[in-house]
Amino acid sequence: MTVMETQSTDTAGTRRLTTAKAMVEGIAQEMERDPSVVYLGEDVGKYGGIFSSTAGLLDRFGEDRVLDTPISETAFIGLAIGAAVEGMRPIAELMFVDFFGVCMDQIYNHMAKIHYESGGAVKVPMVLTTAVGGGYSDAAQHSQCLWGTFAHLPGMKVVIPSTPHDAKGLIVSAIRDDNPVVYMFHKGVMGLPWMAKNPRATDVVPEEPYEVPIGKARIAREGSDITVVSVSLSVHHALDVADRLAADGGIEAEVVDLRSLKPLDRDAILTSVAKTGRLVVVDEDYLSYGLSGEVVATITDVDPGMLRAPVERVAVPDVPLPYARSLETAVLPTRDRIEEAIHRVVKG
Amino acid sequence: MTDVPFPAVADKGPGSEGVVATWFVRDGDSVVADQLLAEVQVDKVAVEVPAPAAGTIRLLVPEEAVVTQGAVIARIE
Repeated sequence: MTVMETQSTDTAGTRRLTTAKAMVEGIAQEMERDPSVVYLGEDVGKYGGIFSSTAGLLDRFGEDRVLDTPISETAFIGLAIGAAVEGMRPIAELMFVDFFGVCMDQIYNHMAKIHYESGGAVKVPMVLTTAVGGGYSDAAQHSQCLWGTFAHLPGMKVVIPSTPHDAKGLIVSAIRDDNPVVYMFHKGVMGLPWMAKNPRATDVVPEEPYEVPIGKARIAREGSDITVVSVSLSVHHALDVADRLAADGGIEAEVVDLRSLKPLDRDAILTSVAKTGRLVVVDEDYLSYGLSGEVVATITDVDPGMLRAPVERVAVPDVPLPYARSLETAVLPTRDRIEEAIHRVVKG
Repeated sequence: MTDVPFPAVADKGPGSEGVVATWFVRDGDSVVADQLLAEVQVDKVAVEVPAPAAGTIRLLVPEEAVVTQGAVIARIE
């Protein structure tokens, strides 16, 4: 017994998981704790989620709690809304966020508005999980982020983990939250063996359940010269660039991982830019009418004098995501584009 | 000392190859029995490799390495 106890102490704080496995662990622990938590969607049962968001859940919890649905997003998201209104805590998975077009009435007119329309009398404690992001030639209908669209519409919280630790903590928080929460996971941060290798997608994850607060950003890297505000996979790219710039000598970039777009941690943005006076926003969503403009307005609404140079926004120009890898790379917020933007703002 | 072999995933014969996709531990880490060590992949099927015993892990192949099924990929001392 003593030996076993010593061994588990040795591994405490060092157990590593991919983002996908961390997300699944969070869901499983909540399903264990609360019988009203169920998961439903396309290929979430036997297949385990096409991006491994539900791997192993069917075997563990059975067909009554992990439901493979027919291909009708309107039907199964509506089903989840009804179950939530009746007191359950369902998680519905929209396989690709790009498919929101066929079910937006359920999401926006019902999931998001029932609490408001009922004067607060009816709660909708559900989670909508969805895969986002590009970088692997899946073209215009399977590569978008679209988090700006969901964050624009009132009534839903929007959370977007970039790390294994936050993937688990945010799914736990999302499930326990009495509001509808949209949980957007980028395929490129999941640590999937068949995607581009991403060393930041495997990291230490505590075994016990824990919450990451919704609406709180994380300082992913401290720095004094420039603030880089980002979310999701772009945080990994920004950290790679920041490390490279620091190693080359000279520029210390502070990287802010927003983690939640709704509510947005404006204080974290203001605090960092007040310190550095320079800002680059990196956003894998479209440039116009979106997150990058909102982050900049967060500064200019309070004090434009904070900025010692014009802001740069590194985002997807207003075009559909191309299939051709060379063209897709040209529009995504790559490390090269981030680095060039940082240099311009530091010189500016 | 315990060998950790690449699991037999495909039954296409003894020469079938796979890839060590992800190491979840680092060389020299102490591990407990059944702890997740690696995820390996054969023909787009991913399989987890748990620790067969407790001890100090020695990684014998890097991530992305292509190895024959059954080959020893780590050793637990």
